[in-house]
Amino acid sequence: MNVQHLIDWQFGAIDRRIFWDPAIYEQELERVFGRSWLFVAHESQVETPGSFVTTYMGQDSVIVTRGDDDRINVFLNSCPHRGNKVCFADSGKGRAFTCNYHGWAFDLEGALKKMPKMGLYKATPGFRMEDWGLKRARVESYKGLVFATFCEETPPLGEWLGDFRWYLDAVLDAEEGGTEFLPGGATRSVMNCNWKFPADNFVGDIYHALWTHLGGSEPTLGRYGGVIVDNKGSYQVSVNGHGWEFNDSFLGNAAAMGDRELLTYMKARQEKIVARLGEFRAKMWGSVASATIFPNFAFLPGYFTFRTFQPKGPTTTEIHAWTLVPKNMPEDIKDRFRRGSMRTFSPSGLLEMDDGENWEQSTSANAGWVTRNQKLCYAMAPKEEVERDDLPGIVTAGQLSDANQRLFYKRWAEMMDAESWADIPCAPSTMKMNEAVE
Amino acid sequence: MTAVMDRKADYSTFPSLNKQQARMAAAQLVAMRGEGRAVEDVILGRVERFYRREARLLDEERYGEWYELLADDLFYWMPMRENRYRRDERQEFDPDAMAFFDESKADIAVRIGRLSSGLAWTEDPATRHVFSVTNVEVFETPVSGEFETHHVFSQYRNRSEHDESTICGRRRDLIRVVEGGFQIVRRMIILPQSVLLAKNLSAFF
Repeated sequence: MNVQHLIDWQFGAIDRRIFWDPAIYEQELERVFGRSWLFVAHESQVETPGSFVTTYMGQDSVIVTRGDDDRINVFLNSCPHRGNKVCFADSGKGRAFTCNYHGWAFDLEGALKKMPKMGLYKATPGFRMEDWGLKRARVESYKGLVFATFCEETPPLGEWLGDFRWYLDAVLDAEEGGTEFLPGGATRSVMNCNWKFPADNFVGDIYHALWTHLGGSEPTLGRYGGVIVDNKGSYQVSVNGHGWEFNDSFLGNAAAMGDRELLTYMKARQEKIVARLGEFRAKMWGSVASATIFPNFAFLPGYFTFRTFQPKGPTTTEIHAWTLVPKNMPEDIKDRFRRGSMRTFSPSGLLEMDDGENWEQSTSANAGWVTRNQKLCYAMAPKEEVERDDLPGIVTAGQLSDANQRLFYKRWAEMMDAESWADIPCAPSTMKMNEAVE
Repeated sequence: MTAVMDRKADYSTFPSLNKQQARMAAAQLVAMRGEGRAVEDVILGRVERFYRREARLLDEERYGEWYELLADDLFYWMPMRENRYRRDERQEFDPDAMAFFDESKADIAVRIGRLSSGLAWTEDPATRHVFSVTNVEVFETPVSGEFETHHVFSQYRNRSEHDESTICGRRRDLIRVVEGGFQIVRRMIILPQSVLLAKNLSAFF
């Protein structure tokens, strides 16, 4: 199905059927999730050989594990014999994954190693153990974040992220020594919404904070004037559909956690972070901001919640969230971020609790045939495009606009309609990444 | 109106545990396995009455009154659950791990601040709650006037038309005798779900 006609990204009118239609959803699994680099784990979750986590790529269950050669492997969590899962744990450590059904056992690289009554297969003409391993994905990392894809044609992760990496360093490389996910696995919850509503919210919708989050922010920010967002000193940037809206407040998001000690600590780090990242990106570290890495991996600077919006059908999405901190941060401060991100952006979070119903009702309204044949308005125009040699990507002035969301859907339509990767453009990288930091 | 319902309250002045105190409280909850002497029925009856009233206050959104049932040294904890193999040697409930709730009394006050702000749109029209508590067991502790309790709860929510969620679980409490009844000093809420089968936890447990 061609979807180009459903997306008017230039003005900003989006057909509501893309949030409802099962055929469109099936095509997304194939052409968007099946061809994108998808976030699967932080390296810190699989620190030693044999440690593993399980997650999803689209609706495909996968195992992420570190092999004895220290490389991270990602493979399907489904036995090629009868299809049962081979790993039922969310995380752990082991030497093999053994299917509960008939006992087929696979090693840390997904290769089939043994099964009961192996002799029967040895006597089977044409059967070769190496043909029946767990299907492996391509795996690449960027500064601790591990991505995978089962598509052979997808360009390397560096090209996929492109110049977005330069901005990502504002949260992934603000401090020396790398980052880690705080322990305890993901907080996971279910929303009855299409996955694109949370994804487009994080890619560029700060506008909603001014209304949706009035209640959640009242106890922490009310005394200080509430949620303050305007188009002075703020931007949106988009690269290959990835997007980040942000202002220059350095710790505006963090303030909503209502922890003064945390803000004092962050202020004390500012000089060092400016020296590392430069003035512009340093201000993005904890500022009023949100971002989505296309298609479904999002984060919030300041709270440092990183999350995937896992598709579970056209109208069901699971949110998996972790908290990312610099490894070298003092333990007490890490713990404050753990509690701060939990209290704001987790299923019990003061702010996250405001969001879910919006996305659910935006989705379920499309059960109405007349309703679903209307357009949604993504028309809020940015003030202007910013032409600065030192800022890569498509940069627009002001964080209050629909600029990033329109470019997100432009990318979505490109991927949905393209037969092959030859028809999907990637913006050339212009920044020397290693020059950014180090 | 109690102080917690004041919209311009400065929550940083509300009672709060430091990290060390919170960890000690968590360790105490993890160690609570119902091994003390079971209390006399008359005390059991009082405790059950206390939980019935607590449930009703929550159902009726009487958050200011419910807040008065919390001790100033409250530790309120809902750890997450992970699917792990039985051979896994990690402790099941790790106080350093991400949790759904990990709170002092001040954090509860902040949550009540959201609910009573008049600005939490997703609670308007109101969510309807039904909270029940069963299987109550009460044990003596080494501290006179403090009891360890174990019980089961079910919290049903319904809002709008078809939006509903049932959350069942176990609670472990440490409660303290105060004038006119009890206060909750420690509470551990143990959900059986590894993926929360709801969009949020916009409720108290």
